[in-house]
Amino acid sequence: MFCKLALRNVRKSIKDYLIYFLTLTFGVCLFYLFNSLDSQTAVMALSESKKITMRMLVQAINYISVFVAVVLGFLIIYANGFLIRRRKKEFGLYMTLGMDRSRVSRLLMLETLFIGLSALAVGLVAGIFLSQGFSIITAHIFEVNLASFRFVFSAKALEKTILYFGVIFFIVMLFNAVSVARLKLIDLLNGGKKNEKLPLRNFVLSVILFLFSIICLVFAYRLFIQNGLAIMDRKFSESILLGCLGTVLFFFSLSGILLRSAQKSKKLYYRGLNMFTLRQFNSKINTTYVSISVICLMLLVTIGTLSCGLGVAHTLNDNLKKLTPYDASLVQSFPEMSNSPDITAKLKKDGVEISAAASGTSQIIFRTSDATLGKMQVSEKEVMEAFGMPADSAKHLCQTPLNSISESEYNQAAKLQGKPEISLGSDKYAIVNMNNQETSIMNNILKKGTILKIGGQSLKPSGSSVLSTSLVDYRNTSLSVALVVPDRIVKQFKEDYSVLNVNFKSDAARTALESKLTSVYGYLSGTTDADKPDRPYDEYNTRQSIIDQQKGLTTSVAYVAIYIGIVFLIAGAAVLAIQQLSETADNTERYGLLHKLGADEKMINHALFTQIGLYFLLPLFLAIFHSIAGIYGVNQTIKQSGRVDITHDVLFTIFIFLVIYGAYFLATYFGSRRMLRQDSEK
Amino acid sequence: MEKTLSVRHLEKYYGNRGNVTKAINDISFDVSKGEFVAIMGASGSGKTTLLNCISTIDSATAGHIMIGGKDVTALRQKELSRFRREKLGFIFQDFSLLDTLTAFENIALALTICGAPAKEIETRVHRVAKQLLIDDILTKYPYQLSGGQKQRVASARAIVTNPALILADEPTGSLDSKSSRMLLESLESLNRNFSATILMVTHDAFTASYCSRVLFLSDGKIFNEINRGKQNRKELFTQIMDVLSLLGGDNSDVL
Repeated sequence: MFCKLALRNVRKSIKDYLIYFLTLTFGVCLFYLFNSLDSQTAVMALSESKKITMRMLVQAINYISVFVAVVLGFLIIYANGFLIRRRKKEFGLYMTLGMDRSRVSRLLMLETLFIGLSALAVGLVAGIFLSQGFSIITAHIFEVNLASFRFVFSAKALEKTILYFGVIFFIVMLFNAVSVARLKLIDLLNGGKKNEKLPLRNFVLSVILFLFSIICLVFAYRLFIQNGLAIMDRKFSESILLGCLGTVLFFFSLSGILLRSAQKSKKLYYRGLNMFTLRQFNSKINTTYVSISVICLMLLVTIGTLSCGLGVAHTLNDNLKKLTPYDASLVQSFPEMSNSPDITAKLKKDGVEISAAASGTSQIIFRTSDATLGKMQVSEKEVMEAFGMPADSAKHLCQTPLNSISESEYNQAAKLQGKPEISLGSDKYAIVNMNNQETSIMNNILKKGTILKIGGQSLKPSGSSVLSTSLVDYRNTSLSVALVVPDRIVKQFKEDYSVLNVNFKSDAARTALESKLTSVYGYLSGTTDADKPDRPYDEYNTRQSIIDQQKGLTTSVAYVAIYIGIVFLIAGAAVLAIQQLSETADNTERYGLLHKLGADEKMINHALFTQIGLYFLLPLFLAIFHSIAGIYGVNQTIKQSGRVDITHDVLFTIFIFLVIYGAYFLATYFGSRRMLRQDSEK
Repeated sequence: MEKTLSVRHLEKYYGNRGNVTKAINDISFDVSKGEFVAIMGASGSGKTTLLNCISTIDSATAGHIMIGGKDVTALRQKELSRFRREKLGFIFQDFSLLDTLTAFENIALALTICGAPAKEIETRVHRVAKQLLIDDILTKYPYQLSGGQKQRVASARAIVTNPALILADEPTGSLDSKSSRMLLESLESLNRNFSATILMVTHDAFTASYCSRVLFLSDGKIFNEINRGKQNRKELFTQIMDVLSLLGGDNSDVL
C-alpha cells in the first residue's frame, strides 16, 4: 500500500515536473556519454601519438566529471526542493490523517528512489545509444577510420554513473528527511496561502550598490583584458573575484532600479498588467539574486567555451603549419660522446642513403654554449614580466645556458625553406626564434647592442630584430631560441641536439625511406631494438604527424570545454525553468484573481511571457557582456599565434543557445500556461 | 427606474441525468440603478451560485441575465473578460489583494486592466481612496494593513472603474464587528454618493440590514423579499430576523 502510494505519486510527479525529470535524465546521459569515451576509443586503431592524447583527454574528463557531478548534484537537490514545496499541502494531509513524520519521510524517500531509478534507467539507455553516434564523431575528430561498426558498451562508465548518481540521490534523500522533519503541520496546510514578507530594498542603497557593481565589472574587465588567460597569477584571480562580486551586486541591486525606472514612465507602468508583471519579477529576483548570478556566470562559461574552444583550436592548428617548414625531421637529443652527431654519415654507414629520397636536406647541430640570458644583462624581473613566470623559474631561466648553432648550418636550413641567408662576418651574432614565442626580451638585447661574450670572444649583434625561422619539425621548449654565431666559435661547445631536416622528392620516396629505416633499425621512431644497429636519431617526425598530434590535443581540449559548456547551459536553463515554474505554481491564485478582475487570457499570457522572458534574458544579457570582454582578453593572449576567427563559432553558439535555452524557455512558458489553465478549470 | 440587473427564469443544474441538483431553480428579479441589495440564505441555498452566474464566472443552464441592457448569457468566452472588467466590480471575502503590489497599485490595477489612460489613473485612484478614508495608507503593502483596511482597498478597487454593478461575496466574512461596521458604512456611502449599484451575498443579518432590499433564497428559489422603504436599520434588522426564523435558519445566523 505504502509502495503503491509512492509509485502513484511518482507517476503524477513525472507528468507535472517534466523539466526536472528531463534534466535529470539528460544529466545521466551526458555523464555516461563522456565517461564512456575510454571504451569508445579502445576499439579504434589509434596511433601511438593519438593514444597519448586520448589518455590525456580521458583523464581530463575524469577530473571534470567530478565537477560536473557536483553541479548536477546541486541542480537535483534544488529541483527536489521545488517538488517538496509544491506538495506541502499533500504532506500536510498525510500528517492530519495520522501518518507520522518518519513515515512521510520514508514515503518521500521511496519516491525519490523511484524517480532516481527511472531517470537513471532512461538516461543510461539514452546515453548508451547516443554514445554509438558519439564514437563516430570522436573517430572523425581523431581522423581514424572506423573499419566496421561495433556496439560499444562501457561497464566502467555505467558503474561510475551509477555510483555518482547513487551518492547524489542518497544526499537528496537525507535532505528530504531533514526537510520533512523540520516542517510544521500548520505551515504544511497553509502552505500556499502564507503571505510572504517582501524583502524591500532601500532605493538609495540600490543605486549605490548598482554603481559599485558597474565599477567592479569595469575593473574586472580591464584586469582581464590586460592579463588574459596565459598568466594565472594574482591579477587573474583578482579579475575573476571582482567579476563575481560585480555580478552578484548587479543582480542584487538591479530589481529595485528596474522597478523605479519603470515607475518613472507612467505610460509603461500603468499599461495592462505591466505593473503586476514588474512587481512579480521584482520580488522574484530579490529572493533569487544569488542563483541568478551563478547562472549568469555559468552562461558566461558556456558562451566562452562554445565560441572560443573550437576557434582557438583552429588557430593553433593553422599556426602549426608555419612552424613545420620541412617534410620531416630526424632529431637526436643528447648525443653520446661515442655516437657521432652527424646523422647523415651514420645513416650512410648503416646503408641508408638519405639523398636518394630527399630533394634537399639540412643538418644542424645545436650546442650548449657558455652564454646565458643573465650574462646578456637580462634581469630576472624582465623575464618574469615577459613570460609571466614566478621568480624562481625566472632565476633558473636566466642561468640556463643558451643553445648555439653555426652560421653555415643556419643558412643551409634557411635556404631549404626559401628564406634569406645571413652573413655575420667574423664578429657578429644573431638570435633565431624557432617557436613563435615571446621575443620582446631578445629584441631588446639586440636593440641595446648588447655584446655577446661567447667561447672567449666578444660579438656584436647583427641587425636589430630576431630571426623568426623554424629550424626543425619538432615541438620542444628547449629548442625555441638559439644564438647564431660564426662557424669557428661553435665547434668548441658540447652537442645538445642533432637535427636532420628532409624535404622529400615524392610521397613514394618518403614511404620508401620510412620502410628502409624501419627494416634497418627495427623501429622507425621512439622505441629502439637492441638487436639492430644503434639508430643515429631518437625521433622521426613528419610535418603531418606533428599536425595530427597537435590537432588531437587542441581538439580534445575543445571537446572538454564544450562538455562543460553544455552541462552549464543545461543546468542554468533548468534552474531558471524550475524557478519560473514554481513561481507560476505559487501564484496561480493571483493569476486567477486577475482573471476574475477581467484580464483576458491574452493579457495574462502576455504577462507570463514578459516575466519569464525577462527572467531568462537578464542573466544571458550580462553573460554576453562578460564574454565580450572575456573573448577579447583570450584573443590578446593568443594573438602571437594569430587572431581567432570566431564568426563560425559564434553562429554555432547562437544555434546551441537557441536550441537548449530556447527549448527550456518555451517549455517553461507553455508549462506555466498549462498550469494556469488547469487551475482555472478546477 | 432604470434596471441595472434583471434576472429572468434563471436555472443552474449540477450533476448528470438521473442525478440532478437544482442549485438555482427558476429565479427572476430586478435590481434598479443605485440600489443596495442583499441576498441571504443558508448554506446550500444557492446564493453563491447565483452570484457566480451573475458575475459571469459560471455559466447558467437556462434563463437570461441582463446587466446594463446586455444579455451576459449570450456573450462568448472572449467577450466575457471584457464585460467583467468594464461593467463589474468585485469584493471578495478573503480581500484578494495582490501582496506584491501596494494598496495604490492594487486599486490602479483594475484601471490598467481596463486600459484607462495613464494620466487619469492617479487622480481617479485618489478620489476613490479619499471617499473610503484610505488615502493615507495607499503606499503600504497588504501585509502592513489590517483586515478592515484591506477590505476597503478591495472596495476601492471594485468601484474605481465605475462599474454598472458591484458584486460583493460575504464582504464582512473575514472581519471583526468594528471593521465590518466601518466597511458597511463605506459601502453605504459609495451607494449614496457615487450612486453605485451593489449586490451583496451574505448570511449575516446585521450586514444585510445596511441594504435597501433583502432577497431570501432557499433551495434555489426566492423565498421572500423585504423592502426597507422608510424603515430605519433596526426595524429592518428585526424584520430580517423574523424571516430567518421562518426560514428555520440556525442560531448562528442570529446576531
